[in-house]
Amino acid sequence: MPGFLKVLFRNLLEGPSTDPFPLVPETFTPDRLRGKVVIDENLCMGCGICSYYCVAGAINITRREDSHTITVWHNACCRCAACRQFCPVHAISLIPDWHSAHPEEEKYNVIEQKTIKYEPCSVCGKMMRPVPEAILKKLYVNNDDVDLAHVRSLCPSCRQLEDARRSAGLPAAETKKAVE
Amino acid sequence: MSISTYTMPLGPVHVALEEPVYFHLTCEGENIKNVELTSGHVHRGMEQLAMQRNLVKNVTLTERVCSLCSNSHSFTYSMVVENALELEIPERAKYLRVMAEEIKRIASHLFNTAIQAHIAGFKSLFMHVMEVREIMQDVKETVYGNRMNLAANCIGGVKCDVTDELLEYILKQMDVIEPQLEEITDIFNTNHIMLTRTKGLGLLPQEDAIALGVAGPVARGSGLVKDVRRDTPYAAYPKLDFDVIVEQGCDVHSRTMVRLRELFESIKLIRQCCNKMPKGEVRYPMGKIPVNEAFAHSEAPRGEVAYYIRTNGTDTPARLKWRVPSYMNWKALSVMMRGCQIAEVALVLNSIDPCVSCTER
Repeated sequence: MPGFLKVLFRNLLEGPSTDPFPLVPETFTPDRLRGKVVIDENLCMGCGICSYYCVAGAINITRREDSHTITVWHNACCRCAACRQFCPVHAISLIPDWHSAHPEEEKYNVIEQKTIKYEPCSVCGKMMRPVPEAILKKLYVNNDDVDLAHVRSLCPSCRQLEDARRSAGLPAAETKKAVE
Repeated sequence: MSISTYTMPLGPVHVALEEPVYFHLTCEGENIKNVELTSGHVHRGMEQLAMQRNLVKNVTLTERVCSLCSNSHSFTYSMVVENALELEIPERAKYLRVMAEEIKRIASHLFNTAIQAHIAGFKSLFMHVMEVREIMQDVKETVYGNRMNLAANCIGGVKCDVTDELLEYILKQMDVIEPQLEEITDIFNTNHIMLTRTKGLGLLPQEDAIALGVAGPVARGSGLVKDVRRDTPYAAYPKLDFDVIVEQGCDVHSRTMVRLRELFESIKLIRQCCNKMPKGEVRYPMGKIPVNEAFAHSEAPRGEVAYYIRTNGTDTPARLKWRVPSYMNWKALSVMMRGCQIAEVALVLNSIDPCVSCTER
């Protein structure tokens, strides 16, 4: 018994080991806590690998002619971070925000939703998702002569042609604006 | 059946833990003469669910089979898929996997030990052990981002690297928890209440342990030297130094002591992992899925977890089957409970550290 009396006495001296949350503004929250999924709309390309690997079926991507919308239902998400692991452009991440309490009637509205608008290709006019600047910089890291703003305005097939022209030393294709 | 013999149902709600178990006891007065076990209350059809999902989704699914040994399931599942894919994982990932596994083992063993005190009626010891366990919960939350489901494993390695600062933090927390665990071990070894409730109770003689094929701390508490980490080493275990803890008492107390003494082996393993871990990549890509079948097993906190997979060339497994240690330990209860008193059923049940949700999945 003396063994445990020592523990009791120490506990009396040290006081409670819990935080009086919500009386204190913040409690123990490590940086790597998997709290809530957030999407960076500047990076998301809408490839759909996140929803393919989402075991909870919490991610949906709706594709339209001129945009795509990515939705994550926080109440369905099981925070396994598979989406973060597989996202090729690191557009999806988990933040340490664990404040998820909400009234029952809001249960279907607790979502993370981002709509990414498409732009027309400057050569053929086809609607396309412009490549995010951060990714372009990585793709063309050794090509200082390439005009990134111009490449960004091209759809994948026009970009291929453009690259082929550049390799062959031909002038760039005329953009729609220049034609007008 | 004599006039003083009667049958008594016990359960299925909250016998020891918040998990459904049902006993049909044949008693003579207070003494139990025979036990019939009924299970299947929380069958969720998880093997069928696994056969409808792709290999990557199943990492998350298997992690949710059980809460306390969640990491062991995703770990063994990842290993079985890697065996089927003939995929070698990076050296650093092996150490990271062992580290996650041992962190979970400490938390799991402490939970069982705390419940032991709770059932014995020693509520303040229960609270104290749970408070010490909170150190491990904080480690899990800080390093992996969740208190129970670590999401550490993925096919081909681990999901997230652990930085040097976090390794320092883990080592620091190990220094904090070790003296407290020594104190708890001493209390369980000397405290009058715990000793009178657990010593000589729930006997599982060594012959019965062999015949029933029990696993994990239940086997080691009956004097069997049986540990998958030592018998068929996997991941980084062959490169790490640890002892297999064995007790000869065959009773509830010796099973508790096996768990408590294993905590120090786990701390030893975590320290070695932190110090020996090589630098480098943490996962390799999956590659093509062949038509194959594979087997993998590992030592979960409760004993041997075994996985079998059959792939058919698609990313959905044709068959996924797993066997958990509680399945064998469960049957041993009928031996342990014979001759016990009704009031001791909960203590004996807790001594096998039952994981009903694993067993019935």
